[in-house]
Amino acid sequence: MKDAVYVLGGEQTDFQRNWTKEGKTFMSLFREAVQDGLEKVGLTPDEIKKLNKQNRIGVFVGNFDAEQYAVQGHLGAFLTEVDPCFFGVPGARYEAACASGSVALDAAQTKLRAKDYDVAIVVGMEIMKTVSSSVGGDFLGTAAYYEKEAKGVQFPFPKLFGKLADVLLERYKLDEKRYMGALAEISRINYANAKRNPKAQTRSWFMNNEHANTRGGEFNMAVGGRLAITDCSQVTDGAALVVLANKNYAEEFAKKKGTKLSAYPKIKGWGHRVAPITFEAKVAESKGDKWVLPWTRQTVKDAFDRSGMNTKDIDVFETHDCFTSSEYAAISAFGITQPGKEHEAIEDGVIDFHGKKPINPSGGLIGAGHPVGASGVRMMLDIYKQVTGTAGDYQVEGAKNGLMLNIGGSATTNYVFVVGK
Amino acid sequence: MREIKTVTVLGANGTMGAGSAAIVAAFGKAKVHMLARDVNKAKEGIEKAISSIKTDTIRPRLIPGSYDQDLEKAVSESDWVFELVAESYEVKEPINKRIAKARKPGTIVSTVSSGLSIARLADAFDEDGKKHYYGTHFFNPPYKMILCELVTHAGNDKKVTKKLGEYLDKTLGRAVVYTNDTPAFAGNRIGFQLINEAAIKAEEYSDKGGIALIDAIMSGYTGRAMAPLDTADFVGLDVHKAIVDNLYEMTKDAAHSTFKLPGYFQKLIDKGDLGRKSGQGLYKMTKTPDGKKEKLYYDIKGDLFVPVPKFDIPFIKEANRRIGEADYIGAMNIVKEAKGLEADIARYFIARYVSYSLSLVGEVVESKEMTDLAMGTGFNWAPASAFVDFLGGPKEAISLITKAKLPVPEVLAKAKAGKPFYQLKDILDARSLFKG
Repeated sequence: MKDAVYVLGGEQTDFQRNWTKEGKTFMSLFREAVQDGLEKVGLTPDEIKKLNKQNRIGVFVGNFDAEQYAVQGHLGAFLTEVDPCFFGVPGARYEAACASGSVALDAAQTKLRAKDYDVAIVVGMEIMKTVSSSVGGDFLGTAAYYEKEAKGVQFPFPKLFGKLADVLLERYKLDEKRYMGALAEISRINYANAKRNPKAQTRSWFMNNEHANTRGGEFNMAVGGRLAITDCSQVTDGAALVVLANKNYAEEFAKKKGTKLSAYPKIKGWGHRVAPITFEAKVAESKGDKWVLPWTRQTVKDAFDRSGMNTKDIDVFETHDCFTSSEYAAISAFGITQPGKEHEAIEDGVIDFHGKKPINPSGGLIGAGHPVGASGVRMMLDIYKQVTGTAGDYQVEGAKNGLMLNIGGSATTNYVFVVGK
Repeated sequence: MREIKTVTVLGANGTMGAGSAAIVAAFGKAKVHMLARDVNKAKEGIEKAISSIKTDTIRPRLIPGSYDQDLEKAVSESDWVFELVAESYEVKEPINKRIAKARKPGTIVSTVSSGLSIARLADAFDEDGKKHYYGTHFFNPPYKMILCELVTHAGNDKKVTKKLGEYLDKTLGRAVVYTNDTPAFAGNRIGFQLINEAAIKAEEYSDKGGIALIDAIMSGYTGRAMAPLDTADFVGLDVHKAIVDNLYEMTKDAAHSTFKLPGYFQKLIDKGDLGRKSGQGLYKMTKTPDGKKEKLYYDIKGDLFVPVPKFDIPFIKEANRRIGEADYIGAMNIVKEAKGLEADIARYFIARYVSYSLSLVGEVVESKEMTDLAMGTGFNWAPASAFVDFLGGPKEAISLITKAKLPVPEVLAKAKAGKPFYQLKDILDARSLFKG
């Protein structure tokens, strides 16, 4: 890809926090995320004012469902509440269910490549603990085809991804015990990784393989067919911010910071594909294909093609493990194994923190948390941290290039970004 | 230090014992001998342990037993003996003698004590035993409150301490605070100082709302999940008494007089009104005639329970609003500038908390980060250093403390302006502890 887009850094909120319990609203979440993020990057209000005067900066907010969770829309305008330096800055909200963060990133990188702006502030946010889990589950149902797949269904998404688990099992004629064991191991790995991440939602929660394998019963209730609570990401409040820039500004910024342009990683490739929205249609379409989720695989391939890279070049992955079955399917979509052989990579420790192709060193959605509209931006931030060697205790040694996969709905909207130096 | 594969928990039927055993069995994957007075009590402890951490998978690792029948055998095969029996030398010392006889060289023995001398308790052991004897002060409930104060004494070996600290941190997921063998260590000394002084002030302002007023003043905007007197009610007035009596006797610091138990606490304890565990204490929940839940508080002068009023204190409303909008400095500015008795009380207690927390650096802990971590993870109270930043920095905090006629701690006096005073931001987001 020509016209490089650089990642200048960012920050996320502590995903363990429950903002409603703290007596704080979505606006407080937004404010803290933006203030912390800009402070971390070193982008001052004066600089933002200056950039805005020159019409070089824009704001891109990823959010899924603030209307229902927080009774608030028009989020693109909300940076003006954080600081007056945002008065006049062009901003809008972007939505694609759980891939909302990625669609905001994509819009930002497009504007930067076109040189419409030189700097983009991308914020992903979701406040979800404003309602009970069953009400929230119904809200999330609007990321599927609500009328057909979610209306009147308690916790529709665990059920949809439970069906994905069924299809994977049947399509590849897997040994059920081995397959379910592999899903449990995905859960174990994500929780174990989250323990090293000081912003992860589950960093003090207990989980091991044994517990993840005890599906059903009082302590690990079945929630979606074969899937139990330990196979699911949790309801999370959180936000993340990254600052992107094109070469025009990244060079200026590097100079200001007394560093080199090469200190900042680039978005090297991206992919965006939309699969049929209903899960049933996805399954029907993919019959006879090697991949159960062919559009997810295609998105990865598109990002590889654009970056001129391949699986072998990627040192670290952040994937959309909203459920263990989605991470399972992602392993072959990344090209780490052939479809149907994903469990081998899991069993052999390939995707473990110290493995050859570590997935979700942050803990992923299962371990780090899944504030829906923030997840894509959080993944970008984590890949940025990994390839700049700033991930602290969850740093994958020597990571130079990383890939993130963010999906919306039942693997409907697929987004992939490849980031590296 | 030996790898910890087998642990004996003494006092395994209590909430703390069962909860701690669950942590060791789950996170540490250790086999745990759950010992209590009799085996049925131990079995009750196993059920409590399982429900505390919500996993049945630890059940096969929890082995019930009794002190009489099983202590020596369990201790002899253990790598760590974790003692949580009643908080007195009279109970702990004889047990320690039995442990000392049965333990193998290299076995860690530790106690959960809120204030007893670790060095004195270590006396029951031979040289190797003393070297491996610690206070491991967990907080209640252990799965939720991740603090562990690791209390050392002069006889410990630094290498063993380091390894044990790493085990508690990395394997058991505790927030480890290293403290010296001083009364009540860090968390309880700071926490119960504030609680007891709040109790004293409640008596002083009994005719203005007493207990309920003080808790309203010390509510969420002052950075605590639970107001201080509500906390006393939660932990039990008898436990509160044991801690502050010990502190009154054993310390002579600038806050000494504030550790004196108020008379009405003793009166309630004598009546058996120990707090939530006995149904009533400083507070009592009741139902109105129309079936709604109602919280009553103990009116000290009237010696009766009356409904908690809805106080209308404008500066608190405004501070809450600011906190609700994530404007922490703005909220503290409101507190700094507000007029009236309630604001004076709020400022006094914030000043006291900051002053006293930081004054323990040097005596109890090596750094302010240790007191910050203790209060943040053991009490869910915003750390003192975070207050310093939200008050506007060291100079502003010193001014508040000076106006309250309280000692300015050395660590604060020496602090450099223009640099965040709170250093644990990436471990504990202090903002999360302020409730709007």
